[in-house]
Amino acid sequence: MSSSSSSTRSLRRFTGAGAWWAPYAFTLPFVALFLVFLVTPILVAVRSSVYSVQSSGLGFGAASAAVFVGFANYTRALGDPDFLASFGRVMLFGVVQVPVMMVLAVGLALLFDSPLVKAKRFFQLVVFLPYAVPGVIAALLWGFLYQPNVSPLIQFLASIGIDANLLAPGTVLWSIANISIWSYTGINMIILFAALQSVPREMFEAARLDGAGEVRIAFSIKLPMIWPAFLLTTLSSIIGTLQLFNEPSVLKTITPNISSSYTPNMAIFSAATLGNNANLSSAMAVILGIATLIVSLTIMRLTTRRNGVTHVTK
Amino acid sequence: MKLNQGGHQRSRAILGPVAAVCALALLAGCGSGTPTASVSSSATATVNFWGWVPGLESLVANYNALHTGTTVVFHRMTGDDGTKVKAAVDAGAGPDVVQLSTHDLPDYVIAGRVVDISKYVGDQAAQYTASSWASVSFNKKVYGIPNGIGPGGLMYRTDILSKYGIAVPTTWDQYLTAARKLHAANPKVYIANMSPSEFGQWSQEIQQAGSSWYGISGNSWTVGINDAGSKLVAKRWQTLLDEKLVTTDTMWTPEYWADVNSGKIATISYAVWFPPLLESNGKATSGKWHVAALPVNAGSTNSGDSGGAADVVLKGAKNPGAAAKFISWLNGSVAAQKTMITTGGIFPSSKNGLASPALLAPVSFFNGQVINTVFKQSAANTPSTWVDGPNFGTAQSAITDQFAKVINGQETFLQALDNAQAITVKNLKARGLSVKG
Repeated sequence: MSSSSSSTRSLRRFTGAGAWWAPYAFTLPFVALFLVFLVTPILVAVRSSVYSVQSSGLGFGAASAAVFVGFANYTRALGDPDFLASFGRVMLFGVVQVPVMMVLAVGLALLFDSPLVKAKRFFQLVVFLPYAVPGVIAALLWGFLYQPNVSPLIQFLASIGIDANLLAPGTVLWSIANISIWSYTGINMIILFAALQSVPREMFEAARLDGAGEVRIAFSIKLPMIWPAFLLTTLSSIIGTLQLFNEPSVLKTITPNISSSYTPNMAIFSAATLGNNANLSSAMAVILGIATLIVSLTIMRLTTRRNGVTHVTK
Repeated sequence: MKLNQGGHQRSRAILGPVAAVCALALLAGCGSGTPTASVSSSATATVNFWGWVPGLESLVANYNALHTGTTVVFHRMTGDDGTKVKAAVDAGAGPDVVQLSTHDLPDYVIAGRVVDISKYVGDQAAQYTASSWASVSFNKKVYGIPNGIGPGGLMYRTDILSKYGIAVPTTWDQYLTAARKLHAANPKVYIANMSPSEFGQWSQEIQQAGSSWYGISGNSWTVGINDAGSKLVAKRWQTLLDEKLVTTDTMWTPEYWADVNSGKIATISYAVWFPPLLESNGKATSGKWHVAALPVNAGSTNSGDSGGAADVVLKGAKNPGAAAKFISWLNGSVAAQKTMITTGGIFPSSKNGLASPALLAPVSFFNGQVINTVFKQSAANTPSTWVDGPNFGTAQSAITDQFAKVINGQETFLQALDNAQAITVKNLKARGLSVKG
């Protein structure tokens, strides 16, 4: 009796799993949310970007109407020197911040994977902890450390004769980069470390038998083996750079040297809220989306070709 | 056995996707669950009201107790609620009444997000100051009830000025002399802080000079960000900046308050709502401050105002008449004005409020001075030249972005004004609005 019911149950489960609709039903929640909260907003933004609300005279009386303007919002966005400058700024930021952060993350991951480091779990937690601090809070914390009157850091530097202004027009970008590195090195380190853990240990044994040292193993075996994870983290860091918003927005409240269109996302936000122009900001958002796509594809193409790997998609 | 199982399978085949869709419907339901006032059609009118002044809860409760025909439902605005209002109104999910800065009102009028309430309150103009009533009137229609104003004054450190034998400056020329004398006597003390991000300190002096960022000429807007009055103010601050007589902290930062508390900043010229903030952030300086009239320009007695707020009835309001009646009571009646002044800390724009004895309470932080006497005089001396216009946000961010460059020595105030002017005019034209000059 009991054995027959259990076999029925397993049979039922098997046949149920084979039903044609099963995969669709299981993906339905994802697909539905994906359509509602990602695809639809994108389509709405694209539609909005080719319209413009036009008034006449003082704007009072006759109701303002949204008229089709084709690519006018795009030409206006691309003709705005502040918006273009914001792209240059985040690119400069990315060229410096992403390599520094990735070198740190790889270095730490390799250290934690090597037998050299004691109290690994503790130090891993220490490195990872900043990631658990929300970005806005991190920017607020660092904001205090950047203001001369309230910063022990700047006061210490002043006491040894270094007059640091971390919020000046030339330095504030790197002060933001510092916050990003502090916040995101940990998560990248964890991803790379997890990838290292999945490398078969026998390979290291074999390498050691062949006389390779720890450094040689790191560069010749570990790094090539975690290349896909490295590519993934680098790519998401670059995308994160293009989307930069939280840290500069928070620091903007303590320094005038971050303008309202300092990064592309801040420019989009300003156009929508301060400028009251949802259509223009939609066009700017579409431009940022396309730019991100192009940068991502270019980097994927370049890195896969150089490495001779053809299917690095994960 | 097999048959039975098949039946079970079929029912699940239908139920599975249905359950998933139901879950989605629930999710969607969360977003559209805004309470509406549909119940109110005949018996009582419901008015949903969003505002930020402290003490509004008790005022709303009073109103509901007094007026049986109307139920006001209050929501306290926090965080980015102000940014949400436009989208909420456009989506048909906005409140009936909202409190907003009068700087933002023209865009609400142009976008048709506010209701013309002339027929309900048009006869109440005489109950409010002329300039505040003008700030809610466009195209000969009334779009709200003024809620409070921001007349300016000069807060100064009595101890610092007397220590260096400096008289309280009453004109801007004396102010410059005082700035030089003070800084020469003690290079660690500055007459003021010039915060590039604080456009309100700038705009109150623009109004004092009889100018305005916007104006209306026939059927066109005019933009006067770089007009004669603005240039007068620009030259004043350029001198103070060039001679390094002012600090340039960004206002409201810990850095700024540290300089205020340490006595590095001797005077602050700002609106009537600033003293309570000074009191809570500058505790170390209690009893050392006094308020005097804003220094005046040569040959003038004008003071300035950095802008006020208003309560407006929004598009889609179910009972605009009841809503208008409520906001006139809130901002005009003797009883409500008393609470607005004492608990809310607003400076009234109604004649009833200005006559209220509650306004003239001594303030211990200012060593027992009745500071509102000064602000009341300031309000009386403020010319009603200021006009708010569309794209105020763009003008404001253009000014503050440009001023940052001035503080860094990349351009002068005069150049900054020209640039901000060009940016603002370009934006207005892109919206199809007519701009002259």
